[in-house]
Amino acid sequence: MKEETVVLDHGSGGKISHSMVSEMILPAFSNPLLEKLDDGAELEINGQRLAFSTDSYVVDPIFFPGGNIGDLAVNGTVNDIAMCGAKPLYLSVGLIIEEGFPTEDLKTILSTMGEAAKKAGVMVVTGDTKVVPKGKADKIFINTSGVGVIPDGVNVSGQMAKPGDKIIVSGTIADHGVTVMSSREGLKFGSDIQTDSAPLNAMVEKIIGSGGDVHVLRDPTRGGVGTTLNEIASQSGVGMRIIEDSLPVKGAVAGMCELLGFDPLYLANEGKLLAIVAPGDADKVLEIIQQDEFGADAVIIGEVVAEDPGKVFLETTIGGSRIIDMLTGEQLPRIC
Amino acid sequence: MSIKHVQEYRDGELARELAAAIRSVTTGNIRLMEVCGTHTMSIFRHGIRTVLPEEITLLSGPGCPVCVTSQRDIDCFIALTSLENVIVATFGDLMRVPGTVSSLQKEKAKGCDVRIVYSVFDAVEIAAENPDKEVVFCAVGFETTTPTVAASILMAQQRNIPNFSVHSAHKTTPAALGALMETPGVAIDGFILPGHVSVITGTDGYRGVFEQYQVPSVITGFEPVDILTAVLMLAKQAAEGKPALENAYPRAVSQAGNTKAIAIMGQVFETCDATWRGIGEIPESGMALKPEFRSFDALERFDLTVPDVGEPKGCACGEILMGLKTPEQCPLYKRTCTPAHPVGPCMVSSEGSCAAYYRYN
Repeated sequence: MKEETVVLDHGSGGKISHSMVSEMILPAFSNPLLEKLDDGAELEINGQRLAFSTDSYVVDPIFFPGGNIGDLAVNGTVNDIAMCGAKPLYLSVGLIIEEGFPTEDLKTILSTMGEAAKKAGVMVVTGDTKVVPKGKADKIFINTSGVGVIPDGVNVSGQMAKPGDKIIVSGTIADHGVTVMSSREGLKFGSDIQTDSAPLNAMVEKIIGSGGDVHVLRDPTRGGVGTTLNEIASQSGVGMRIIEDSLPVKGAVAGMCELLGFDPLYLANEGKLLAIVAPGDADKVLEIIQQDEFGADAVIIGEVVAEDPGKVFLETTIGGSRIIDMLTGEQLPRIC
Repeated sequence: MSIKHVQEYRDGELARELAAAIRSVTTGNIRLMEVCGTHTMSIFRHGIRTVLPEEITLLSGPGCPVCVTSQRDIDCFIALTSLENVIVATFGDLMRVPGTVSSLQKEKAKGCDVRIVYSVFDAVEIAAENPDKEVVFCAVGFETTTPTVAASILMAQQRNIPNFSVHSAHKTTPAALGALMETPGVAIDGFILPGHVSVITGTDGYRGVFEQYQVPSVITGFEPVDILTAVLMLAKQAAEGKPALENAYPRAVSQAGNTKAIAIMGQVFETCDATWRGIGEIPESGMALKPEFRSFDALERFDLTVPDVGEPKGCACGEILMGLKTPEQCPLYKRTCTPAHPVGPCMVSSEGSCAAYYRYN
């Protein structure tokens, strides 16, 4: 890493985050399970394949329309495990709380976590609590880890996208990113946008159960659909063509993005998945997703191609074409 | 403007018809400069170059405020962060811009109090909430931002918030166009004039420059249909050999502009000579606080010693801003200068031409 100190961009999920992962983190722990760089690790213990994943939540503000840091932390890890094709079963919860944090808020967060775990059908089976002096953390940070079982015959990975595959997104993009941005202090916009935070394990179970030839499942969280597609293109050594007109974006979200100079392709989603499916099975899988509680707005947004490996192209509404690059750092609001 | 209204200006069919019309009127090579960084981003974002005939070259001009901010001003912003008891408030775009030895982002990581604001009025509020601290706003931008900064100063004065100040690196757009036309080697057959800036200046703001240099000029908005309409109008002007100053953005831009904003700007600011990155000093192209508002000038208030060290060696930002070079012709582009590790501001600003080339090309 060129920087002498860690900057916020290292946590953005974009190119700068990736350089930290590849230059500092991978060399420290070097092993083939980690190096696959999927949402969770795939382990095999006594013939049973498991998915194992962890994630930390530091969202600011901790309460936002449609959810809070608690259900985000549960759904996030549930989804990371589900994206391995697994059925998530058990979670751990680590809380780092700042001295002076209101117990009422803590109760609300824990109860939301309990409800989220129930809805996702997972159990929180172990945990840890630390309290740090005031000013040494920002209100509350939550880590969740989880394990799930990968059914026999299931084999999905970011490395498996093949030319000809169709790319499905399970609903409107950028809802969570815009919700958090607009509820963050200083951005006082009135609108009914809310987070899409949701457990996707039931949807994944149905997708897997359909027997469709699904190659990749991935939830486009931090860094958004644009960054996630780039990751998959690079992991699989393929190119991608995305049709701008097909990208589902809610009107209010699109309006907020216009206003703030954000590209919805790079804003976080917390209840959406990308499914990359063999062309013959794409319509069947799409229909299954659309029938799910959280997939009504699912659409096919493009396809995998052999040309330009590692690159993602957007065919624009006006018939032009451009690259969708991986986000470099945090998207910063424009100034004019 | 509702998003539905915006969609009308992204109509694929209409855009294709415009592109066909452009092809039919284009007879020879035409070099057009989009002055504004938001146009540059929109051109890339919608893939507009890919639908134009190859005779038409689009050049990115000096219209990204971050890109034209001099190294010394950037160093001043960074130096302010190290002062005791000072909160530096800035728009997000300036955070990553590299100064000679640091950046606002790096100073923030070291613990300096740097806050990203979405409006200059948020900086005034921070000052009101922290009466025992000094709050300095890093003021960059063109006619779009200057009036709001002027209004923030009037507000701070009215509400008696003495701990608010600004470091003004504001610049004016028409002065830059004049300087461009005077630069040897610059060959521009038409200007795509900014949309936002023109809302303030009106068509009249460009009248003087247009009459002096007689370069085809069209004001337009930021949607693909707006930009293609402007290109078509400029291509027609070029083909007919009849330069004109036209307005393709009448839904937002009037002839006289926003007279109220112009008046507030004139109440607080006066023009001054200003250094543009890579271009050098352009007379009467900057905006300084008038003597009666100097108490709000951060440079008057704080004793800053910032040496004028010049720009990084090899950085071609200046030539790129004048359309003399494309980013690919800069020796640093994609080698030592990338969005993750920018050398010049054209790479760091989200509206900078190097960043746009890097991201979308």
